[in-house]
Amino acid sequence: MRGILMDTVVRHEQARPGYPPGDLAIWIFILAELLVFAIFFAAYAFARSGQAELFNHYQATLNRDTALFNTLALLTSSYFVVRGVVAAREGNNALCARWLWAAVAMGGLFLVIKASEYADHFAAGVSLSSNTFYMFYLSLTFFHFMHVILGMVILAAVAVKAGRDGYSPDDHTGVETGASYWHMVDMVWLILFPLVYVMR
Amino acid sequence: MSTKTNIIQPNRQLIRPCTVVYGVLVVLTLVTWSIGRAGLGGLWVSLLVLGFALFKAQLVGDWFMGLRDIRGIWRWVVVIWLAVPGSLITLAFAFSHGG
Amino acid sequence: MQYQSQAVAKPYFIAAIGLFVGQILFGLILGLQYVIGDFMFPEIPFNVARMVHTNLLIVWLLFGFMGAAYYLVPEEAERELFSPGLAILMFWIFLVAGALTILGYLLVPYSGLAELTQNSVLPTMGREFLEQPTITKLGIVVVALAFLFNIGMTILKGRKTAVSLVLLIGLLGLAVMFLFSFYNPDNLAKDKYYWWWVVHLWVEGVWELILGSILAFVLIKTTGVDREVIEKWLYVIIAMTLITGIIGTGHHYYWIGAPEYWQWWGSIFSALEPIPFFMMTVFAFNMVNRRRRNHPNKAAVLWAMGTAVMAFLGAGVWGFLHTLAPINYYTHGTQITAAHGHMAFYGAYVMIVLTMISYAMPMLRGRTAAPSNRSQVVEMWSFWLMTVSIVFITLFLTGAGILQVYLQRYSGDPLPFMVVQDKIAMFYWMREVAGAVFMVGLIAYVASFFVGSRDPEATAVAGDSAAA
Repeated sequence: MRGILMDTVVRHEQARPGYPPGDLAIWIFILAELLVFAIFFAAYAFARSGQAELFNHYQATLNRDTALFNTLALLTSSYFVVRGVVAAREGNNALCARWLWAAVAMGGLFLVIKASEYADHFAAGVSLSSNTFYMFYLSLTFFHFMHVILGMVILAAVAVKAGRDGYSPDDHTGVETGASYWHMVDMVWLILFPLVYVMR
Repeated sequence: MSTKTNIIQPNRQLIRPCTVVYGVLVVLTLVTWSIGRAGLGGLWVSLLVLGFALFKAQLVGDWFMGLRDIRGIWRWVVVIWLAVPGSLITLAFAFSHGG
Repeated sequence: MQYQSQAVAKPYFIAAIGLFVGQILFGLILGLQYVIGDFMFPEIPFNVARMVHTNLLIVWLLFGFMGAAYYLVPEEAERELFSPGLAILMFWIFLVAGALTILGYLLVPYSGLAELTQNSVLPTMGREFLEQPTITKLGIVVVALAFLFNIGMTILKGRKTAVSLVLLIGLLGLAVMFLFSFYNPDNLAKDKYYWWWVVHLWVEGVWELILGSILAFVLIKTTGVDREVIEKWLYVIIAMTLITGIIGTGHHYYWIGAPEYWQWWGSIFSALEPIPFFMMTVFAFNMVNRRRRNHPNKAAVLWAMGTAVMAFLGAGVWGFLHTLAPINYYTHGTQITAAHGHMAFYGAYVMIVLTMISYAMPMLRGRTAAPSNRSQVVEMWSFWLMTVSIVFITLFLTGAGILQVYLQRYSGDPLPFMVVQDKIAMFYWMREVAGAVFMVGLIAYVASFFVGSRDPEATAVAGDSAAA
């Protein structure tokens, strides 16, 4: 019994791939992007430690509720993408496309909410030069905003190809490539949200 | 046909844990948001919130990205990445609160 | 050579090498003027020598890029060049205009040149690297447009590959960014702000696309690795280049009166500019390790490898050294900048042009793939002589720069500029010696085209010709 168990464990170990899902090139890109965000986060934290009161004061002016909805939108879209990948692995292109379009729609919701937040800030006269907190808040969130747009473009391209029955259980690297990038965009926001909106 | 079912089976099995993970992510997000709403602050609360965030990101890496099933260095790529901003942010907050 | 019209690249390459020799000659004069201030004065004052040294560099690199494009694009597009005649005509216009401009610098005082060329009608002269008279700038635009038209039509009518498209985007960006050299606001802060759109967005933006595509082309040809693999890397590298390079412009905006947030944006994004260069190094070595044939032109492969390494060191590492705002506060405009400039220009752009020349010249001279063994030996000697001496030039200038920063700006008792210059003269002398060795390397490089030119062609090592 124990022997059989060991045997399956070993076989499972051998079956595990040495590379992450998706194209290796996108992972090199993801690593580079993660490095940018890591440096940005650290810069925020250290700039904050010098002027904590200013940061706490202006952090209180942010709309935490819209940020909550945005977090939920990204989490949900990431979950949809997982379902899309599973559908692609099963060879169900139509289902895969539907899940991916749903994820793109969630990304769109994120953009709309974030844009309304920006509109409020700009109406209040906030700019990059207002103070260090707003400089970081606007820079970080806008940089992430651009990544959401890029991620949506990638997901849409994959969804279009899936809609044309372009993937198969043996060949769906494209879906995993787009999915990996999108999860990265989600993951970065999971750090950004508490760091900028909550931690004080 | 039998080989195909072999491929499909583990994928089907992926949905349920990912749904659970999704639920955990939503709950932790709501907790984080409530802490912010309650206006709680200070070093330990901040580090708790940061801990939630790192854990959530780790869940996304392991389950959504699927790194759980990878061998070698790529298995740990998100963990290693999280250690960088995680430790630097901790350090910076310790500075600002510890003085 | 697969297409007859690729032959137009040859005069471009020869002109590039000729002007390269001129650039190094003026570099030696200039280096000596650092320690013997009145050397060749009043015939060639320091400011003129410097202008000629830098302008010649830019012009010969442009000749090299154009030659590279004329060679590369027909092969990628799988058709003859749209108009070889236009390419030759533009060659002569560019060469004559370039020569007249350099002669103008040397023979007429700069203010007299401005008057002579009617600079007052549309004032664009007098800014570092953009010293050319307005009429020369217009000439550059005409040549660039005709060149782009020629290349663009060839690509449009032929096969479109990632390599040729990236090259085209790079060349298009080069032309578009140059238009900002005509915008010369009176406000000095604004002037500098847009001046960097030419200078920075050239060398840390669109030129890197040109570099990437030429490197990809040469690697496809010499390693036999699948085009898809190489193109994928190319895409990732240029995406990173553009993200870090465009926002990285901010590292020039720290102290010129631009808003303060540039200190953050510039620091963060330019700190990441080494990444695409590092990727390029990994990429080049990876491709050569996965090669499916041993190309007989070993010298060309050596240049390609050298580009990948030296671009990372010169542009990446030496750029990073002084790119963070708190560090740049002290190092701005010191010999650290000169150190970075020398290794970055050599490692990235000089070497990629020489890579392309090395790869293409044998075919342009009627061989099938490679020069003779003897010729390659001399060329590889020139590679090592020039590369090692540029490393030493960079190290000596870095030493000079560190000492300069300390004595002039950091110590408790800062010394005046000229006093410090005297104290770091030793480094300038050593730099000049390294420069003389560089010249020897360059002479060897030129000689490699004449040595063994009647010998039989070099062949690949036996047993490795599986894909040849």
